[in-house]
Amino acid sequence: MKRRRNSKLKFEEPSDQSPTTTADFTFTLTRLAVSQICQSIGYKATDSSALNTLTVTTTKFLQSLAGLASSFSNAANRTESNLFDVVNGLQDIALSTSDCFPGGSTVHDVESHCLIKSAVVRNLSDFVKYAPEIPFAKPLPRPERDGSSSGRDLDHEAVTVTRSVEYVPAWLPPFPDASLYSDRCTKDGSDHLWENSVTVIDRENLMDSLKSESCRGRKSGRLPQRRARVRFKMERDCSDGDTRWRQDNDAESGRDVEVKKKIIEEYIHCAGEWPI
Amino acid sequence: MNHGQQSGEAKHEDDAALTEFLASLMDYTPTIPDDLVEHYLAKSGFQCPDVRLIRLVAVATQKFVADVASDALQHCKARPAPVVKDKKQQKEKRLILTMEDLSKALREYGVNVKHPEYFADSPSTGMDPATREE
Repeated sequence: MKRRRNSKLKFEEPSDQSPTTTADFTFTLTRLAVSQICQSIGYKATDSSALNTLTVTTTKFLQSLAGLASSFSNAANRTESNLFDVVNGLQDIALSTSDCFPGGSTVHDVESHCLIKSAVVRNLSDFVKYAPEIPFAKPLPRPERDGSSSGRDLDHEAVTVTRSVEYVPAWLPPFPDASLYSDRCTKDGSDHLWENSVTVIDRENLMDSLKSESCRGRKSGRLPQRRARVRFKMERDCSDGDTRWRQDNDAESGRDVEVKKKIIEEYIHCAGEWPI
Repeated sequence: MNHGQQSGEAKHEDDAALTEFLASLMDYTPTIPDDLVEHYLAKSGFQCPDVRLIRLVAVATQKFVADVASDALQHCKARPAPVVKDKKQQKEKRLILTMEDLSKALREYGVNVKHPEYFADSPSTGMDPATREE
């Protein structure tokens, strides 16, 4: 008969499976902390399944406490939780044990609002006083904290939350990196003309390249840069019946000048500018 | 009037005790790191810039785990040790956290953890090597 392999391992860690996701990473860290607490209590070894179960329970405890505290704060029209929210959450979580009964009503006392009388807080105070301090096995790399930001998530490793605008709530996600949008939005300097700007030059180069690539000789639809100058005169045709005043050269020149003057004056009067 | 003064003094003492407790949290290093606690709190929508509250939650979690582990240890010690014929081989009972003890301890905290039954091919499957050799 084959011997069954002993499944009881001493603080085992899955050596073959390194944490691939953030959830696995945080679960591994939590399991390490839980195993340290179990060792401080007096255990020499743990079952892997028992350790995993206790770790999952710990994470559920943390999340449920956070959810209760945040719900209490939201009920009071707040987004940031305070000490009262956390203590109320602890009271609700401790309902299954006898911790919450002594002094549980004093938390909701309108006159005193004394939290230290609550048995939950007193037990925690005694725990901090008398329990041995067990630091985490390996120090986590601590990033620099900004004064305004509190939730430095392990998901965002290289995010520096700098709240330059105070009116933006802290619970919103951070703005995208400025390099993603600043180049497009910034206007070119007003020193040079629009024709000499980068966008126009680039577009012209692109058009030239497209033109050279396409079949030559075909009209591209653009006007050639060198073209004959066009001159034109504005004249009033004062034809009276069959005769035209143009036949009279002398009178015509004089009338021409007068008509042109009148037209110019009318145009200036109407438009204010003569397009020369 | 006198009663009001006494209640005022008591309230002042209580506030001082609470302030002292919150200050002591900054000197105490919980086993669960602050960053890890903040990660789980942020997942549930908890937001607070005060580090003392983060420490308070970490301490509360550590106390919860310690209480569960200590209850499971009591169950483990209360279990009768297996009878060994040869007294020389009698060893000190090795304290191991098992699912059996953990489920009993968690039941008191309202957490129902039931280890699934498994069917073995022989009666000695899964037993300790010492008892199997008998």
